[in-house]
Amino acid sequence: MSLAAHSRSATRLRLPDILFTLALVAIAVVFFFPMLWMVFSSFKSNSSIFASPFALPTELDFGRWVEAWEIGHIGQYALNSAIVTGASVLAILLLGAAAAFAFSRYRFRGRNLLMGLLALGLLLPLQSYFIAQSTMFTDLAITDTRWALILPYTAMGLPLAVYLLKVYLDAVPDELFEAARIDGASDLRVFGSIALPLLRPGLATVAIFSALASWNEFLLALLYIQDDALKTIPTGLLAFSSRYVTDYGLLFSALSIVTLPMIVIYIVFNKQIVEGITAGSVK
Amino acid sequence: MKPNRRITPYLFLVPAMTVFGFAVLLPVIMTFGYSFTEWNGYGPMVFVGLDNYVKAANDVLFRDSFVHVLLYIFATIVLEVVVGLVLAGLVSVRRQGSLWFRVAIFTPVMLPMVVVAVLWAFVYNNDFGLLNAALHSLGLDDLQRVWLGDPATALLAVSVVSGWVFAGFYMTIFYAAFSQVPAEVIEAARLDGAGEWQLFRSIKVPMIRNAITVALLLCITGGFQGFDLFYVMTNGGPYGATEIPTTYLVKSVFTFGNVGYGSAMAVILTTVVVALGVAFTRANREKSEKVQP
Repeated sequence: MSLAAHSRSATRLRLPDILFTLALVAIAVVFFFPMLWMVFSSFKSNSSIFASPFALPTELDFGRWVEAWEIGHIGQYALNSAIVTGASVLAILLLGAAAAFAFSRYRFRGRNLLMGLLALGLLLPLQSYFIAQSTMFTDLAITDTRWALILPYTAMGLPLAVYLLKVYLDAVPDELFEAARIDGASDLRVFGSIALPLLRPGLATVAIFSALASWNEFLLALLYIQDDALKTIPTGLLAFSSRYVTDYGLLFSALSIVTLPMIVIYIVFNKQIVEGITAGSVK
Repeated sequence: MKPNRRITPYLFLVPAMTVFGFAVLLPVIMTFGYSFTEWNGYGPMVFVGLDNYVKAANDVLFRDSFVHVLLYIFATIVLEVVVGLVLAGLVSVRRQGSLWFRVAIFTPVMLPMVVVAVLWAFVYNNDFGLLNAALHSLGLDDLQRVWLGDPATALLAVSVVSGWVFAGFYMTIFYAAFSQVPAEVIEAARLDGAGEWQLFRSIKVPMIRNAITVALLLCITGGFQGFDLFYVMTNGGPYGATEIPTTYLVKSVFTFGNVGYGSAMAVILTTVVVALGVAFTRANREKSEKVQP
């Protein structure tokens, strides 16, 4: 997955440079405009949103943002998302690395069958299991607990995680593991002190796409969590938008609060995120 | 040489396989089982054989939902994959200094679809929405619509939002693929006097054909699984104009309690998605080498 950056020779452009840049700017503005409008509107009153939708806000008052965060529970939803996402990603990394280690370093009975089952997980859509999953979770009384999200998010993330991490481990020369084993290291030690450190770049990629998938997941969160105190950002925001259905300034504040950190995160980690997302999709 | 120890590998696998088996495999099998029953989720379960499948085949609403999702997929192939390809082509003309552009186009991919859906419901709002306001200020009042409330425009309106989100995603995939096209090839074509458009059309695009195939697969199978945007923006309305299989089956199961029938529809949908996935993977494997992201 090397994004082999080929030497880019200084090329002479046929299109005049300035015109070309202007075209890019125009496209970017069109794409970005809804988000700008969202942020501007969060500083406006309902009447000015109606009267002059394109006008810049007259003052930057973050009062509505604070209100959305505290009174509107956006803070609570963000915390819930962080807990669920954090737990799922940790579980995916740990269980995924262990499984990849087993598949990569050992030959054993049932290996192909188990790998095949996991590979099936790469193809199966959510629709193939969420109906029975919801009746199971209801029977086990784990709906309206965080487990109802952590378990399926972990299960959904594992197939791709195992597949990618196995590719990384397969590339590691056997001698490295053999040497440790001859030195008397146990299997668990070999995994913990040799495999895991070697896997670090792979784990980072897996962490990114797993985190984004968990953070943004909606359908299962909608089905399994009715308790407002446990809602994650997607379902929480939906509840928020029906609670404050006509308070547009507040709604735009909530949307902005959720959106802006993601833009910052993208600007800072864009290389890793692009790698993670494309690896996560081209499966 | 790989060591051949009896229990160790299984110990490493138990946690992952347990979670995966419990939360995915078991429910897949159970959903398949439910599809042959009539059941409301808690009362007695009655075995009805293939009745649910026969019912699905004759259900006009279910058939319509497939028509809608096919139209949606067709629209998103244009709005996501084709637009993404053109944007990637533009950016790859000059590779440096395009980060700001990629940030602007890619950001929506990062957002929860619910956020996108709520935001765009505002863009389409007929009282103060950005779209109608823009049409008004351009003097095009005749074109103003109740975008999400009009059966003629609702499906297209949702598709445009999908395009807004995923054009940047496909642009990113194609941009990565373009940067793997050997610079010498491009230099040679330039020396032969090829313009940027010719370069794009006859050299760059053909050379990333595998990436395009993968993108089409993602767009099509992803389209069949669409839910979030539809649920938040229209939930199947107006008058069923945007009802897609997933919104329809969620309603059947969770609103009307038809677990058996919903499961049969889920199995049909799953079969379509898995079959397409397998077919595309086969087709791509037969072609020489795979494109790495």
